Amino acid sequence: MNDVVEKTALLADPAGERIVPGTDTAVAKKAPRILVCDGNEAAAWGVVLSRPDMVAVYPITPQSSLAEYVAQFVADGVLDAELVEAEGEHSVLSVLHGAALAGARTYTASCGQGLAFMFEPYFRTPNLRLPIVMSIVNRDGITPQCVWGGQQDAMTVREVGWVQLFCETVQEVLDTIVMAYRIAEDRSVMLPVNVNHDGNYLSNGIVRIELPDQTEVDDFLGTPDVNWHAALDPDRPMGVDPLTGGATGPGPALFVGYRRGHCEGMQNALRVIVEVHEEWARRFGRRYAPLVEEYRLDGADHALVTIGSMAGAAKDAVDAARDRGERVGLIRIKTLRPFPLDALVAALDKVRAVGVVDRAVSYGWNSGPVHQETLAALQHCGHRIPCLSLIGGLAGADLTQTHFERAIAETAKLLDAPCPREPVWLNAEDR
Amino acid sequence: MELFDYVVLGASHAGLEALRAIRAHDADGSIAVLDREARLPVSPTVLPYVVSGKCAADRVALRERSWFDTQRVDYRQQAAAAALDTANSRLRLADGREISYGKLLLATGAAPALPPIEGLSDVSFHVLRTLDDALALRDVASKAGRSAGRAVVLGAGLVGMHAAENLVRAGAGVTIVEMRGQVLPGYFDPLAAARIEAVFRDKGVEVLTGRRVKQVAPRDEGCTVLLDDGEARDADLLLAAAGVRPEVSYLAGSGVAVERGIVVDEFMRTVADNVWAAGDVVQTRSFFADGTPAGGILPDAVEQGRTAGMSMAGDPGVRPYPGGVSLNTYGFFGRRALSVGRDAPEQAGSEWDVLVRGGEGADGYLKLVLREGRLQGIFGVDVLFDPGIMWELILRRVEIGARRDALLENPQDTARALMSGLWR
Amino acid sequence: MSATPTISFDPARCDGCGDCMSACVSAKSTVEYIAQSRIRIVRDDEAGCWGVAQCRQCGDPRCASVCPAAALAKGDDGIVAWDAERCVNCLLCTAGCIYGGIAFSPAEGHVVKCDQCAGAPQCVSACTRGALRYVNAAKLYNRWGELEDLFVPGLGGCQGCNTELIMRHTLRRVGPNTVLATPPGCIPGMGSVGYNGMLGCKVPVFHPLLTNTASMLTGIRRQYRRKGRKVTALALAGDGGAGDVGFQSLSGAAERGEQILFVCVDNEGYMNTGAQRSGSTTYGAWTATTPVGDTGRGKTQDAKNLPLLMMWHGCEYVATASTAFMEDFYAKLEAALDASERGFAYLHLYSPCTSGWRFPSASNIEVARKAVETNFALLWEYRRDRGLRLSRDIDDPAPVTEYLELLGKFRHLDAAQTAHIQRHVAAQAQVLRDLAGMHQDDGLSHCCSSIVPQAVRHETGG
Repeated sequence: MNDVVEKTALLADPAGERIVPGTDTAVAKKAPRILVCDGNEAAAWGVVLSRPDMVAVYPITPQSSLAEYVAQFVADGVLDAELVEAEGEHSVLSVLHGAALAGARTYTASCGQGLAFMFEPYFRTPNLRLPIVMSIVNRDGITPQCVWGGQQDAMTVREVGWVQLFCETVQEVLDTIVMAYRIAEDRSVMLPVNVNHDGNYLSNGIVRIELPDQTEVDDFLGTPDVNWHAALDPDRPMGVDPLTGGATGPGPALFVGYRRGHCEGMQNALRVIVEVHEEWARRFGRRYAPLVEEYRLDGADHALVTIGSMAGAAKDAVDAARDRGERVGLIRIKTLRPFPLDALVAALDKVRAVGVVDRAVSYGWNSGPVHQETLAALQHCGHRIPCLSLIGGLAGADLTQTHFERAIAETAKLLDAPCPREPVWLNAEDR
Repeated sequence: MELFDYVVLGASHAGLEALRAIRAHDADGSIAVLDREARLPVSPTVLPYVVSGKCAADRVALRERSWFDTQRVDYRQQAAAAALDTANSRLRLADGREISYGKLLLATGAAPALPPIEGLSDVSFHVLRTLDDALALRDVASKAGRSAGRAVVLGAGLVGMHAAENLVRAGAGVTIVEMRGQVLPGYFDPLAAARIEAVFRDKGVEVLTGRRVKQVAPRDEGCTVLLDDGEARDADLLLAAAGVRPEVSYLAGSGVAVERGIVVDEFMRTVADNVWAAGDVVQTRSFFADGTPAGGILPDAVEQGRTAGMSMAGDPGVRPYPGGVSLNTYGFFGRRALSVGRDAPEQAGSEWDVLVRGGEGADGYLKLVLREGRLQGIFGVDVLFDPGIMWELILRRVEIGARRDALLENPQDTARALMSGLWR
Repeated sequence: MSATPTISFDPARCDGCGDCMSACVSAKSTVEYIAQSRIRIVRDDEAGCWGVAQCRQCGDPRCASVCPAAALAKGDDGIVAWDAERCVNCLLCTAGCIYGGIAFSPAEGHVVKCDQCAGAPQCVSACTRGALRYVNAAKLYNRWGELEDLFVPGLGGCQGCNTELIMRHTLRRVGPNTVLATPPGCIPGMGSVGYNGMLGCKVPVFHPLLTNTASMLTGIRRQYRRKGRKVTALALAGDGGAGDVGFQSLSGAAERGEQILFVCVDNEGYMNTGAQRSGSTTYGAWTATTPVGDTGRGKTQDAKNLPLLMMWHGCEYVATASTAFMEDFYAKLEAALDASERGFAYLHLYSPCTSGWRFPSASNIEVARKAVETNFALLWEYRRDRGLRLSRDIDDPAPVTEYLELLGKFRHLDAAQTAHIQRHVAAQAQVLRDLAGMHQDDGLSHCCSSIVPQAVRHETGG
């Protein structure tokens, strides 16, 4: 317990010694190697370790404490970054556009309505190929009015062109934020990355985490490499984003070229995400499935497909079912975009039936978005696998082991009976 | 063979103005200026003042050589044209060399026209067109003056009148012979001319108008001038100032049309491709589209040069040359006569309006000529006005209307007030 | 050939007192003679006003072209100089001038002309009514002219648009060490960011979104400041991108005091997309979305006063300018650029739109001038440490109708609408007068500090 540093004491004492991880060995010894904190603070430490040049924030529940941690770190000198307290999420991301085009490594976080308001610059970000890292502290969408967790925000923007990573644990949030910069700034990728962590469950759940050493993180990340391709720099004058397309000239081909290049960057990201996770494991000793995690699939008849923090409770339910002798496993999607087709197909091929648990709704399909994605992937499987949609955890509703036990039971029915078209609303009876 | 984008023949007012206009629009095109003279360009207009001694010969150049350098113009002296091959855009010089041009401006000016007088070639006489002419005349004039000799001037145009005044001032006895009925014909109306003539008579000049010279014959170092009425005058100095003729000798066989001068359109283009002409060498159309004499005056040469230069360079701002308007500023014995435009015809219809003030004995004389309420001409002796403004009022066909009496009373301020409202 | 300062004459202000001529006579007379005035004020009874005859110091002086003695030449100082030694008194120069600017003086025995008294023209000093002004704009044009033009030679602008003037002159002054934001609108429509990979200007330039210009520039400027580089963050935006959909980001950046030079080119609507209404569109104006029909009579609301809104942010610098008053524009651009080193600088340019406002393409500058002369567009300047001051006298404006009748977009106005606009223009002028008055009167300076944002109270001495 000696090297557990009480974070509140650290941050509450402005006259005390500043913690600037990795910059000073004397101070570095005091760096918190182990912290007890929630996911938002873990994300903020991930930001500190990644040394962005600029952070722009606008508060929104349940992201607000993340913004506050970052602001406090800047105020305390723990993080040496320009902090822009913009007047809204639209400007938050716009500020980062400018900064990135001027060569800055950048960070922000938002969710829900904030993401909705940000949408105009948000959907331009990947087209500008700006390697911005942004946390989405997932929140359900209004209306009905709510401020609770859910993945409707991230699911709604999955065709916009960002890399989308979904974390299961607080530790994974910190580690993934650092890894996200490597992925985003890889010259074969050059795309923005959303690191998703569920509002409430991860943003406010306090656990013990380990903080990597700053020097090693510096070595892992290297210097920012942000605007080699497109810059707004008087030393390298160029026009960024001229009018492109139209019926004459090289326009149509140029436009198609940009779109195709974007798709290629996405496909390259599949490889880079794997490589970066491998290297992370080698350097820091923590291994995460980069694309799709397979949990107890050996000899499984059926499996749940999950995404985000719900996998924790789901794994407990799988363990309990296994203990009862049920041949059930779990598939967790970490990388939703680019879509990990091969990895998911390989996992699906191991079972005969799946139930996909979504924390969001695909209204038009009368199911969940990940369910839709899974259905599309199943096209590539060697055999026909029935696939049930289960929807739960909306607006911060609990998804407990009990809920997942029901999910497993409903999925097991597919082994003998036709797959129902109706989704299973896991919290429909909760009061 | 050398090739220039632009070749300008002649370096007097028309050629120099064209040069400026070309450079104003085309900063890079190569330009050569070929001048037949051996000296820096000098305006013929300034020569009488060289004769009088008012101007030093080394202080009259229109441009210094450095100016040509600054304009990045290849300026060549003693480069007279001998022949023009418009089909191949080639110019042959007197020394046999050839030069190719992209566009060519003919601004070779005019040479003194010699009157067809029997015996002229057998006597020594002077003309006044070049600086050398002026220097030669200056020397003999002062000699004639010192010896109180006699001088006869053939022609009462501006050159003749200026020279006569200089000779009188030098002390010579002077006779002016003019075949038309007044001095300065075509420049001033008869009443103005009579006033000017009277001043000359007061200064002891013998002015013979409506008279011709029949014959000249050598006499000692001078000559005897025999007039058509049988009278004779002895002359120690004879000056032929009977007008000029365009310098077009090199155009034979070139295809460039020549009548009284080179024929040009309103953009100063000759009939030959890529060949323009401007200044005294052209046959200038009158602004009034009538028989009014036009051209041969300095401001016209400048306007034509500007029009030609802009047209050659493709300057989109070029406007058609409006036609010549006679315009003269004439100072004599410390007095001033000004004229702009045309007089009314002898058989003037009711649309014409002629206003005159200052008849015999008055301080000043002024005549206004209006047609349909618009200024056609203004002639004044010892009455000041701004000829530039009057010229512009004529060119713009500005309605004078109710201002006519004020214009007669105070032409300077009235026209200035009118113009001020137009240009502002 | 360089342009040079000129002495301008405003007949509306001249009462023919003749003080200018007396001043000229005194300045040019010697013990030997009483000089002839080089400026002549003349009465035109027919037109009922005064006129002037004086040398204009032409850039291409025809008096010099027609001089046979090379006695007249335009010097590097811009003055057409007369050389007494060369002059032969032929008076041909007087035939070359249509302004009566060079004339024979019997008393002096030769032609005389204005030489602007070596940069301190006495006639101008003597004019108490402001009819004569010594206009230095030409000096500025020369200085600007020597700076590099940072836009492409050809622009895809509408005929007669003044925005090219704004773009070129602004960028010349601001210079190459600049990042330029041109949000969607007329300016990128002219090709600032180029087309299909071809670039429109020589500085780094981009399309921000219509909505986020000030925010993107925030990121750019802050990153360079962080790296110790001094790079100017410049916006050339339309009124919609500045004041309507882009207003949030503009307001945010202004409030944060970002070091940005934000130039709003206000053509009172969405002119690039076919002339639709914006928040800056005048009451009564026809636009494509406030059309005139059986019941519709144009826009039914007044324009918002965007520059005043910016002033209330407490920016480092806010000013309005017009391309009809280039000296004023230059001075304000200079001040705005300087202020953008310290904080947010906002420059609002009134930009008549030849196509969207429906007036002949040759009269853009005249329309701009009339807007100012009628108080329709008010020129003023606000500095955080000095408050607001008017750039010109607004107490004796021309009738607003003189402005309205120039424009097709107002052709349908009825008497009530015209009266509404007149009231609005008068009210806006009064607001400006009041704001400016607060700073002229020390007795009110305490009050002004609480009304007009003013940061450095102690420096103003109030």
